Amino acid sequence: MPVSIVTELLARHQERLSGFPAPLGQQFEAGLRALANRLTPSQLQAWAETGAELTALSLRSWEAAVEYFRAGANYPPQATWDAIETIGRDALQMAAESAPLAVSFLRAAPGAMEAIGPANIHAWAELGRRLYKGNWKSSSLAAQFYEVAPELFRVLRIGQASRLVIFIDELARHSYELASACLASAPSVLARLEEEDRLPFITFATELAQTSWADSRLYFDRGVPLIEKVHSSLRERFLLLAAQAARGHHQRSAYQYFEDAANALGEVDPDDHQQVIMLAEQLAPYSPFAAMDFLTAMPTVLQRIRIDELESWQQAGLRILQTSAEGGEAYFRLQSTRAEDILENLSSRVELSRVGEVLRLYCKALTGRNVSIQTAESLAEKGIGWVDEHRASTDGTTIFLPELMERFPNKDDNFAAMKVFATHQAAHIEFGSFQFAFDRPGAVFPTRRHAFARDRERPATTDMEAFFDLFPDRQLASDLFTIAEDARIDARVKDEYGGIRRHLVRMQAEELERRPPVEMMPLRNAFVENLVRASLDGLHLVRWPRDRAEAMSRALGILSAVQTPGATVEDAAEAALALYEIAVSIPNIRDDVDPGSWDAVEPMEAGQAMPMEAAGEGGAQGSQAQLGGAGEGDEEYESPQEIDFRGDFKPELVDLLMKLRENAQGGQAGQQQTMPLTPEQLAELLAKSVEIDLDAMDEGDLDASTGMFLSNLMKEAGTPASEKGDQGGQPTSDNSTGEGEGEEPLKPVVTVYYYDEWDFRAQDYKPRWCAVKEAKLEEGDEGFYEKALKEHAGLVAQTRKQFELMKPEMFRKIKRLPDGEDFDLDSAIEWMVEKRAGANPTEKIYWRRNKIERDVAVAFLIDMSASTDEEINKRDKKYDDDDYDDDPRKYLSWWVSKRRQELTSPPKRIIDLEKESTVLLMTALETIGDQYGIYGFSGYGRDNVEFFVIKDFDETLDQKIKNRLDKITPIRSTRMGPAIRHATFKLMQTDAKVKILFLLSDGRPQDHGYGRDRTEKEYAIHDTKQALNEAKREGITPFALTVDRAGHDYLKTMCEDMGYEVVADIESLPSRLPTLYRRLTE
Amino acid sequence: MAENGSVQGATIYAVEEYSVHEEPYYLPIGDEVQLFETAYRQRIPVLLKGPTGAGKTRFVEYMAYRLGRPMLKVSSRTGEEVEHRMPLITVACHEDLTASDLVGRYLLDTDGTRWVDGPLTRAVKVGAICYLDEVVEARKDTTVLIHPLTDYRRLLPIEKLGQVIEAADGFLLVISYNPGYQSALKDLKHSTRQRFIAIEFNYPPRDAEAQIIAHESGCDDRTAMDLARLGEKVRNLKEHGLGEGVSTRLLVYAGRLIAQGIPARRACQVAITWALTDDSEVQRSIEEVVTSIFE
Repeated sequence: MPVSIVTELLARHQERLSGFPAPLGQQFEAGLRALANRLTPSQLQAWAETGAELTALSLRSWEAAVEYFRAGANYPPQATWDAIETIGRDALQMAAESAPLAVSFLRAAPGAMEAIGPANIHAWAELGRRLYKGNWKSSSLAAQFYEVAPELFRVLRIGQASRLVIFIDELARHSYELASACLASAPSVLARLEEEDRLPFITFATELAQTSWADSRLYFDRGVPLIEKVHSSLRERFLLLAAQAARGHHQRSAYQYFEDAANALGEVDPDDHQQVIMLAEQLAPYSPFAAMDFLTAMPTVLQRIRIDELESWQQAGLRILQTSAEGGEAYFRLQSTRAEDILENLSSRVELSRVGEVLRLYCKALTGRNVSIQTAESLAEKGIGWVDEHRASTDGTTIFLPELMERFPNKDDNFAAMKVFATHQAAHIEFGSFQFAFDRPGAVFPTRRHAFARDRERPATTDMEAFFDLFPDRQLASDLFTIAEDARIDARVKDEYGGIRRHLVRMQAEELERRPPVEMMPLRNAFVENLVRASLDGLHLVRWPRDRAEAMSRALGILSAVQTPGATVEDAAEAALALYEIAVSIPNIRDDVDPGSWDAVEPMEAGQAMPMEAAGEGGAQGSQAQLGGAGEGDEEYESPQEIDFRGDFKPELVDLLMKLRENAQGGQAGQQQTMPLTPEQLAELLAKSVEIDLDAMDEGDLDASTGMFLSNLMKEAGTPASEKGDQGGQPTSDNSTGEGEGEEPLKPVVTVYYYDEWDFRAQDYKPRWCAVKEAKLEEGDEGFYEKALKEHAGLVAQTRKQFELMKPEMFRKIKRLPDGEDFDLDSAIEWMVEKRAGANPTEKIYWRRNKIERDVAVAFLIDMSASTDEEINKRDKKYDDDDYDDDPRKYLSWWVSKRRQELTSPPKRIIDLEKESTVLLMTALETIGDQYGIYGFSGYGRDNVEFFVIKDFDETLDQKIKNRLDKITPIRSTRMGPAIRHATFKLMQTDAKVKILFLLSDGRPQDHGYGRDRTEKEYAIHDTKQALNEAKREGITPFALTVDRAGHDYLKTMCEDMGYEVVADIESLPSRLPTLYRRLTE
Repeated sequence: MAENGSVQGATIYAVEEYSVHEEPYYLPIGDEVQLFETAYRQRIPVLLKGPTGAGKTRFVEYMAYRLGRPMLKVSSRTGEEVEHRMPLITVACHEDLTASDLVGRYLLDTDGTRWVDGPLTRAVKVGAICYLDEVVEARKDTTVLIHPLTDYRRLLPIEKLGQVIEAADGFLLVISYNPGYQSALKDLKHSTRQRFIAIEFNYPPRDAEAQIIAHESGCDDRTAMDLARLGEKVRNLKEHGLGEGVSTRLLVYAGRLIAQGIPARRACQVAITWALTDDSEVQRSIEEVVTSIFE
């Protein structure tokens, strides 16, 4: 029977198919035969009928028919007739629209049937048709969709595929190429994800396609490794968060948020991801951006607080977020002072950057010197012998401390630890660790060091060098000296500073717990270790072989003598010498006797332990005492383990550095002439010193690193002892300056100041947001000042006169006072009359002179932004101003322009008028005697606000300043806020009663990143206003003068209740400025 | 004119009748006592220079007491025998102090006006030590007024009365001045300056200061020593955030609080840290020094 139906159908369609190329017939027959056994005759007939219909639809639909028949032969066993029939019906519809689409559909159909089952075939067909939009690009995209079906459905279910299609469809609206690329990579990309993460991955992709479709490619390319950074059980939740952020519109692209947050999570311990994501999810309903920023901030935040403290920080931000989205977002971006403050409060660690100033003043108080505080890291970077980036130290003028202190769980303890570190270093300076003089006797010990001095080829460079040269084993000597000196310093600190004793004792106890076991060491090492323990108040932890007890006991006695209050650094040196003698008498071997023979040792009485004065003392006998070195057969001596709070003590290096500095400053007058150090001397010194480990500093050959080291050292010594901000009133500046400095043109010194910036959206300050770089303006042409004066000669005379009138008389008579210098005759008569008349006369019948003082300081802030380069269109002006109807201002400007024409100078720009006005005002100010400073500002971006000093408050008007005036030129942008803040700072340093901040600008504040984009005004204006408000709060009167003709609207916001004026006619500026100033201060 | 009497426990003196009754505590640091005595014998006016709270006023009181010690018994207006001591008239100068505030003025009376001598005039008349504290604060006309009193003439012209008063024998002008905090504007004129010998006062050395604190406050020696040490450290901060170092007076106040049972750290906070500065950073630094020294 089957055979007959096949033959019958073949015969029936023979004719219709014969007109097409041969494959059609062949495939028809193959398909027919394959299906004959599975379908009923009527089904088979219907199948064949559909194929035939396909051929007839359009010119190329026969190709679809070929595929249709071919598929017939390829259907998997589970294919039902229903499914096959559906395929036929769908193919017919498709072929009617696009034959190639139908071709690819049919070609993929058998494979798809196998992947998704017969029931879903229609849904699959529909998905592809959804992508088809009637043009060839969409048709090929849809075709591509069908083609990838087998791979795709290996990783996706049909329902999920529909989401993918939505994404591809969305993307195709923007770019078919991109859609096609994403579709092609989809199976492999999705395959790399866990099954439950695939749908969220697509969901985020869809959102991305809607808001920033261009990033989809990036997402498909790089997304998977990023997602893998998130803990596997949380990826879905993370992606949903990202999707929410993508739904909103924001400056940054959604992909950027995703990438940053994923990378950030990658740096966080995966065990914490659960908590972090949970907290982020709480933020998402208010602002998904805040949630993403929260994730991004995690590495920074978790560095400072523990994970269990995170919620309090998040809750504080959440409360802000609930009232202000902008504020909350800034909070979680870590761009708000509040976020910093709360973080700081929660954080138990202490950062040097936050307590540095307090510690600096603290150390200054202790030492009485202008010490500065810097991080230990910065010392290591100098490459001058210190290599450890975490250990405290000092070079005699600066105290270096670790950047962070987080050894205790609470902040107070950490700060106390930092303070103990600082105190120890300050005490080195206070109690003279670096004042060692070889020839000065100590206060406690007899002086024996001279007896060991050998003849030298050349005098020692430093006293410390001379001392260490006594010892064959320099390392041992250095270690012993360090122990003795540190023991002395600790004792002095405990004696002088009762309050810090408790913390110091605690640190010492902690250090003692960390000491390595002494019984395991060779004897000499054990000897030194015991001394360290004793110096840490750990006498009870000293362990020593019983049969050698005497040496140890003597050594402990010597150490305790150093700890008496009167002991000096020379005593520490003598102690080191005595200890050295004992140490070298002990062989550095392991004591094989059983550990039971090690016992505690009682220190000897100080008087008994004290070494006898050396025989050769004072006498000039030829026999010189000798100190021993390492013995034969000994183990190598190793320095004891370091003690944290004592840090790095390098007396020899500090001594040398101080010497070099002294040389660099030309030596103190009156003192003995110090010989300049030759590089050879230095090199020799470095080679023998044990304080410098050249190998540790730099790899590479020794010569090169020595050379580098020397040049670093010279550089360091060349800079004055007190640097960075401290113009120390120390003797250095008294002697050394003088002629040398003024003669050569110095490079402008740039000092950087940091200021907060006001974010009005967040209603909070962005901490330390702007870097203001202050420098003196270069000097320009000499003639400018005089020329400007000549040009405005009339105006100058007029202004000068006006200002002279303003100059206050010293005294003014005030009448009708209850008390005063003398009677006011009129009042007295009145009083008498009224009294006689029986009335109650007023007692106010005195007069007195009241002293009027004019005590004004004014800071002029001149806008040097590029926009001031604009030329003043004089032709237009002149035309307008021909009829100046009796307005003197207009007359003046007309006059000014006429003068200018006569001079046939190049056309003037706004800045030129600003400059000339400044000159005029300066002469006026000189007349009246107010303190004044003139500053210019410009810059680009928040970390580069340039602040030019033309005349500082403490400078007097001289030729240099006149020359600087000429250099006022348009430079870059206008970031007013930080400039105002800095000018405020300058004003606050004057002690005038009336302080005025005069802002002279040509337009509104504008800068890169000063607002959401270049055109946004709000942000800049609010920050400027806030800066002006701050000035007002400090008791300063701000006044803004602008030549921006459209200025009114923004000035109104900026200067709500402050003085402002718009000079509509720019050319009247030179006359207007002094007038305004006069009015302001009268 | 001037009436002696007691009103509700307060003792009221006419300015020229006030003198130092009990020996004030003063610990000489150098030869200042001898210098002052010699200067007084020679009637050379004295300028005391030094920071606030260094003991200038106390020194003048002490000297007034010392110089009046061979007490003369003289008859007062009431006929009783009273002890005559060296009268000391102290005028705290301020920026509105005028010449007439020092010399005197007419006051209203029931039937017209009446002349009242100012403190300087009274001092000149009775031969007292007149101590003008912080003299640079006063108006410039006052400083000129004292010129004829401070040279060989020893005269006080009273313009409004048309009189010239020759100073009584015991009269001596002593002025004080703090070179530290006054601005350059308020410097003493040279013509004024060069009429005085100048004795410089500075904070006493640590041990002496500890002794003073112990005596004045009644705190124990250890606390006094710690306070003196604190004073020394805080003075290191001068110019750096602090206009003026901590005065001995403040250290004594802190000592008195401690002696009365206020915990040392708290006492230093209120008497020193907060009294010295409003700058929170400097306060914090001083606080750290305090907690380093006191438990």
